[in-house]
Amino acid sequence: MSHGTRRMSERGVYLFLSLAFAGVVAQLLILASAHHVDVTLAVSEPVAATSFSRPDIVDRNGRLLATDLEAPSIFADPGIIVDRDEVVEKLTTVLPDLDSRQLLRDLSDRSRRFIWVRRGVSPGIAQKVHDLGLPGISFRYELKRAYPGGMMAGHVLGYVDVDNRGISGIERYIDEKVGVDPVHSAVLSSRPPVRLSLDIGVQHALEDELDSAVRRYDTEGAAGVVLNIKTGEILASASLPRVDPTWPLQALDQKHIDRMTGGTYELGSVFKTVTLAMAFNEGFAQPDTIVDVRKPLEAGRFTVTDFHPSDRPLTVTEVYTHSSNVGAGMLALEAGPEKLEAFLKKLGLLDQMQTEEGALAAPQVPARWNRISTITAAFGHGIAVAPLQFAAAAATILNNGKTVQPTFLRKFDAGTADGKAVVTAETSRLIAHLMRLNVVNRDGTGGKADVPGYRVGGKTGTADVAGKGGYTSNSVISSFLATFPTDDPQYLTFVVLFEPKGIAATHGHRTAGTNAAPVTGQLIARIAAQLGVAPETVTASR
Amino acid sequence: MRLLNVTAFFFAVASALLLYALNYDTRRIEAEVQAKERLAERAREDIAVLKAERGTLARPDRIDGLARQLGLGPPKPDQFDQGREVSQLNDRRDGASGR
Repeated sequence: MSHGTRRMSERGVYLFLSLAFAGVVAQLLILASAHHVDVTLAVSEPVAATSFSRPDIVDRNGRLLATDLEAPSIFADPGIIVDRDEVVEKLTTVLPDLDSRQLLRDLSDRSRRFIWVRRGVSPGIAQKVHDLGLPGISFRYELKRAYPGGMMAGHVLGYVDVDNRGISGIERYIDEKVGVDPVHSAVLSSRPPVRLSLDIGVQHALEDELDSAVRRYDTEGAAGVVLNIKTGEILASASLPRVDPTWPLQALDQKHIDRMTGGTYELGSVFKTVTLAMAFNEGFAQPDTIVDVRKPLEAGRFTVTDFHPSDRPLTVTEVYTHSSNVGAGMLALEAGPEKLEAFLKKLGLLDQMQTEEGALAAPQVPARWNRISTITAAFGHGIAVAPLQFAAAAATILNNGKTVQPTFLRKFDAGTADGKAVVTAETSRLIAHLMRLNVVNRDGTGGKADVPGYRVGGKTGTADVAGKGGYTSNSVISSFLATFPTDDPQYLTFVVLFEPKGIAATHGHRTAGTNAAPVTGQLIARIAAQLGVAPETVTASR
Repeated sequence: MRLLNVTAFFFAVASALLLYALNYDTRRIEAEVQAKERLAERAREDIAVLKAERGTLARPDRIDGLARQLGLGPPKPDQFDQGREVSQLNDRRDGASGR
């Protein structure tokens, strides 16, 4: 080979290599510049999520209310199982509530390779099943929701389904608004916890007091709420009988509904708080305005009377403290149906309310606002609302008229006043004062709710339960609306007892002053310090 | 030219060895990372269980019973006779919220 041709071929090789390098460089440059192109990876596993990881739920002070835990789930592979009957029989010794016939049917289908036997069992059960040594039975770790507080705040928290998806209450709110992450295996959520407005100390005190009320007065149920008037935060909300968040089937039972939000009730005389707020706000009554309540009020075929008829005209203050139906009715009539309806509308009592727990039961309001419905609504009949909705309206009145929107979420910014005040600050002050008088005056109905030092004010409500064919006077809903401290209302409590019985200690009475009022007093005595409200002597010494 | 060829060959072999070593290093580190991640995951699960257990142990209804056995109870209004005690209570509550 001549020297010339060798040089030629060498050059050829170099040229080829240079071109090849240039080609690689060009491709790299194209790749580098085309970073907007999404790279998709093929995953060999099916992409369908098997369950969801959820953020924790904590109370306002960070104490745990709900969390995800790893729990073993048991599954079967029919292709491997030899003796189906033996497998099912042995499984039922550990899992007695297993649907053995269904399982036997599922296991007969050899084309299937995966059948859930039971999801989310305890480690102990899993160990027992493992010890049976059944071929074709295996385990897989999944997330399972756990509620360390047991039944505490069960209604508020709600339920999750077997895939760990929220189906009611705050759990559902988390799915809809906060977000959950689909996972294939037991991967804990990395989302920050959802912080509720509840304080589990206050929640426990409320549930405990309601528990003893249910026992003492032999009631069908009870409900209560503690609300921060300034922020709308719900510190505690309870409904008895309680529900277990790990037992969703309970929710189907009407007895177990959240009576605070899920049912509407005619609340009776507590509603006079609203009627009087309207009378003060519209300016046609002052606390010392005289109302002649001596004659019963005729309303169509009904006659409205007072529980303790008065033989003299009463002041508006006395209409409240004596809880005069006639007086409240007359004040409402003076305003007229349009004004009353407009006032209730402004307070949000006529429209369905929404919280993070879900929609409240829609209020049942008179179809037509006429003379009769105006009179009855004045003392809380003929209009039925969810107790929480009424509590919110009362809180609005006590919050200088600034609308209080109840929330189950912790608020970190102090509530900013937006929108027009529904009632004047003066009306708000007068109502708080009347509520206080109703507790301290000897003839008031709320004396048993007083807690020395905390300046409690309140109003009783005893409503006959509406049943088939009219009202039954031997079953009542008794309630007590309270606020403290009344010189600058911070907190509102609303306790509702369903069908309390007369007992020896109440001399057979079932009126709210003898049951709901003392329950409220005990509740406030327990929670006031937890809420940081200073007793009077302390305030005075500051 | 021969020198160039020898140098190029030397570099090729050297880089091949380097790549080989790097590759194995990477795999080793990857395995270490995976082991650490598994440990972290295990620790997270343990933390979740412990948190739930602490939550169960600190349930107010449980503490309530225990406290009453010890003769404790909710504070009574007459137990506050100095303003600063309540204001301190307030401060503590605010501090506790940061947990």
